[in-house]
Amino acid sequence: MPIAATASGTRALRAGIPGRVLVALALFAIVGPFLWILTASFKHQIAIYAGQFPFTPTLSNYADVLLGRRSDFAGNIVNSLVVAASSTALALAAGALAAYSLHRFRWPAWVSAGFLGWTLVFHMVPVLTLLGPWYVAFRELGLYDTRAALILTHVTINLPMTVWLLRTFFREIPPEIVEAAHVDGCGPFDAFYRIVLPLALPGLIAAGILAFVFSWNEFPIALTLTSRETATVPVAIARFAQQYEIQHAQMAAASVISTIPAVILMFLGQRFIVSGLTLGAVK
Amino acid sequence: MIPNLGFTRMLLAVIALAAAAPSLAQKTFLDVGKQADITVLVGSTPWYPAFEKAVGLYEQQTGNHIKLDVTPFGNILEKARNAVRSGQSPYGLMTLDTQWTIEFYEGGFLSPLTDIDAAFVMPKEVLAYGDSGYWNAQKRWRTADGGKLMAYTVLGNVQLLYFRGDLLKQAGIAPPATWNDVLAACTKLAKPPATYGFVARGEKGNGIRYDWQSVMLAEGAQVVKNPEAGDYTVTINSPQAKAALDLYIELLKRCGPPNFGSLGQGDVIQLLATGKAPLGDVVTAAFASFEDPNKSAVVGKLETAPLPSGAGGARGAVIGNWNAVVPKNAPDAQKKAALAFSRWFLTYDAQRAFAEAGGIPNRSDVYTSDLAKNPKYRWMPAYLETQQFARQELGYAEGAQVEQILGLRLNQALIGEMSSGKALNSAAAEIEALFRKNGRRTGVLAPLPE
Amino acid sequence: MRNAADVPVTRRVPRPAQDVVARLVNRSFRYWSLLPAVLIFAALTLYPLLNLMRMSVSTIDFAQGATLWTFTPLRNLEALRADDVLRPAVVNTVVFVVVSVAIEMVLGVALAIGVAGLARAKRWVRTVAILPILVPPVAIGSMWKLMYNYDFGIFNQALVAVGAMPVNWLGSTNIALASVIAVDVWHWVPFVFLILFAAVEGIPPDLLEAAHVDGASRGQTLRLVVLPLLRPAIVVAFLFRTILAFKVFDEVFLLTAGGPGTSTELVNLHLYKVFFEQNRLGYGAMLSLAVIAAIVAFLLVSRRAALAVRT
Repeated sequence: MPIAATASGTRALRAGIPGRVLVALALFAIVGPFLWILTASFKHQIAIYAGQFPFTPTLSNYADVLLGRRSDFAGNIVNSLVVAASSTALALAAGALAAYSLHRFRWPAWVSAGFLGWTLVFHMVPVLTLLGPWYVAFRELGLYDTRAALILTHVTINLPMTVWLLRTFFREIPPEIVEAAHVDGCGPFDAFYRIVLPLALPGLIAAGILAFVFSWNEFPIALTLTSRETATVPVAIARFAQQYEIQHAQMAAASVISTIPAVILMFLGQRFIVSGLTLGAVK
Repeated sequence: MIPNLGFTRMLLAVIALAAAAPSLAQKTFLDVGKQADITVLVGSTPWYPAFEKAVGLYEQQTGNHIKLDVTPFGNILEKARNAVRSGQSPYGLMTLDTQWTIEFYEGGFLSPLTDIDAAFVMPKEVLAYGDSGYWNAQKRWRTADGGKLMAYTVLGNVQLLYFRGDLLKQAGIAPPATWNDVLAACTKLAKPPATYGFVARGEKGNGIRYDWQSVMLAEGAQVVKNPEAGDYTVTINSPQAKAALDLYIELLKRCGPPNFGSLGQGDVIQLLATGKAPLGDVVTAAFASFEDPNKSAVVGKLETAPLPSGAGGARGAVIGNWNAVVPKNAPDAQKKAALAFSRWFLTYDAQRAFAEAGGIPNRSDVYTSDLAKNPKYRWMPAYLETQQFARQELGYAEGAQVEQILGLRLNQALIGEMSSGKALNSAAAEIEALFRKNGRRTGVLAPLPE
Repeated sequence: MRNAADVPVTRRVPRPAQDVVARLVNRSFRYWSLLPAVLIFAALTLYPLLNLMRMSVSTIDFAQGATLWTFTPLRNLEALRADDVLRPAVVNTVVFVVVSVAIEMVLGVALAIGVAGLARAKRWVRTVAILPILVPPVAIGSMWKLMYNYDFGIFNQALVAVGAMPVNWLGSTNIALASVIAVDVWHWVPFVFLILFAAVEGIPPDLLEAAHVDGASRGQTLRLVVLPLLRPAIVVAFLFRTILAFKVFDEVFLLTAGGPGTSTELVNLHLYKVFFEQNRLGYGAMLSLAVIAAIVAFLLVSRRAALAVRT
């Protein structure tokens, strides 16, 4: 059971005053620039240029981004949500299964080391070398400018980290628990689904959040494989980086808007994963 | 959630249609007939809204449909390459920045415009922009002399000298005619840290290369001797080029902000727009943002003039224009549709509408029309005059690599990492090696003192 | 910690169809569990990887609208050797990776432990702490560029307000790389935090309780109990953070474009220029392979160093 629920665990780790001050400082440093982006989104471009504070706030940037004639931002958000949610679900499912499989079953060395090594090496390949082949392949398959292509490529990009992370967390689960389940008649899949997954919950959440975030913010692949209708949020935001100058005000507004669905989804997602797994878990 | 968005969109669309109703009754600028639908690749640039309005006008007048794939500027080249290198192009028309055209011309990826329709003729009023739309495969050079018509200019950008008319008058300085005048003026006007004297790009890469080359041309220097005739002798390390580089460094060091080594076009525009600089070297396309009260604190105060001349009286400016091209692997119907739109776009009426929407027209008759007298378009006389001496630079296949070499060495000289002589000598040696590797007829001048 | 005795299993009355399917699924679990990941991965990575290897030993030209491949491995290797910008890029990249990853690991672990010790509001804190990785990289690059702006950026404004001299954050060859590292640290500490926080949450509380009962101080508990337990997570976080650091692009591109001079020229940035701006695909592919080899070498060296430190 996670430490959060036990008083003794928290007591042992409870930060003293200096610890809490440090955490507060760190959070301020993290949130500070984000707050700056937030204020910039309510300023006119000239106010941002001149670093004015105080300033006259305006909603025109948000209006521009959301309702502008040439803006499909709402559609871009929908695209991003669909792609990120689907690719995260798929990556977690495939990744969890693979990670558990490699950990639990005695695969020959060439299988486990080969798969893990291959995913790691693939992770090192610069993304821009993948763009050309994927563009050609998806165009041949007729999947250019579709969300399906993006989902598949995002799963591929996120699979290495998901597999490696979950493998680490699965290894921390004491093997006696799984064996006890077997003694009681649980098959390997049931043991995985009902016992191991709930125990690895913190790891699942972390891997899920990271997969989601990387998919949400992914830019080069989204740019190459999409056109106007299927463009995702990062592509839309990049349009504000124009040839001679960056439209900082609109970019700030778009960035703020883009974090909202992601934050909401993650906040809810944590709760969903917890409740979903405890339902199927053993009481 | 989604139904609500749809409703809002419908409401907005109805309002927009009602507002547009009067213009629906407009007569077409040019009758092009019914054409296939096409998608156009265009970049996210300051002139995009104007282009979009022009396209909207075309759709209203002719009933044909054009979809605009507006792409972040940094990624247009990739998209264009992907489009032409595989199967069927998703675009019927693409807009390419001038330095990318050679790659597409040489690679045989485009359909010459006269191949699509032998009767297509460029109106004589359309400005030449250094013949960037013509390709002579024999000479491997862009020239109308023996060249095929591959493209026309959608947006022709050149740098202009922007200055604060009010501040110069106050200080009793006449608008600078030579670069040395600029140096004198900016020294007088600079009062750091409140105001600087002069701003131009110092950023490594395309930034410093493009801005410095105007001074280079004004001092009578060149990068290569005579590429059109096939002579690729490198002449970048000439005494004239060194004089130009020293002058540029002096300008930025004496009159620019302390971070002159990293100034990009956005920074230059920002400094002018906030009133922190009275003199600057900026593209014409930025003029509109200086007149927007939401983006500028100096609305109505900036004047423009052609870039100053050098010590010998020569003037220099580099053309950075967007060229509209038709991919070879687009379907025939789309090629015809692209050409039809192009014919419409090149008419006087369309270009005038384009200018009124905030774009830079490409026909000389728009510049000599009554528009030029409107203070909103007070940049037009300077622009037209610049066309007389503006040139295309780096018009060869190695252009991108040469720019990278120059962009690095110039920046290093600017920030003091090496002397100007050494920077130019290094650049010359590297460029010469590059040309030699590619089989060009090349050589190099005697090195400058370092 | 759970032990065998407190894991009860509820058994339902088996119904024939469900039971058969459940048994099939369980029996074949061993085989089909690895399949989805392998299938997806094979389908999508084989072609690009093979293509990359083929490109690295070729020169690719375009003529008449067609692609021409010529086999030129030596020419590409020579280009690698003769690339002048590569040397400073490699040096900068190594410095960048070592410094930023080190700082991020330390701060990330410290923050994870610190937040785990909070009595409440953990879910909120976690959501807030990961905000930086939610912002698209292109926005991070341009916003920080504004903050670092010499005349109007918030840092210089603050400095001037307290009477200090403004700093040339992005225009000075000495400071530019540090400024870029600062942005990277801000961006990626949440990444390390997230992984480590999950690991800290998974530590069995009785271990900590036992240490407390045994009279260990907080510092000793941390050093001798918590950190060793976190080691696997630290290794994974380090592994992926390092690989990602070698691939950094958006932030540097927007902040400095590799300048001033070559002070922030990084390998991935240079690769982008070779691949896209100069259109040298063959050499670009060769450079990518060299980068991969360098990352592997770097990881092996780090592993050797970590082992040496432990003994």
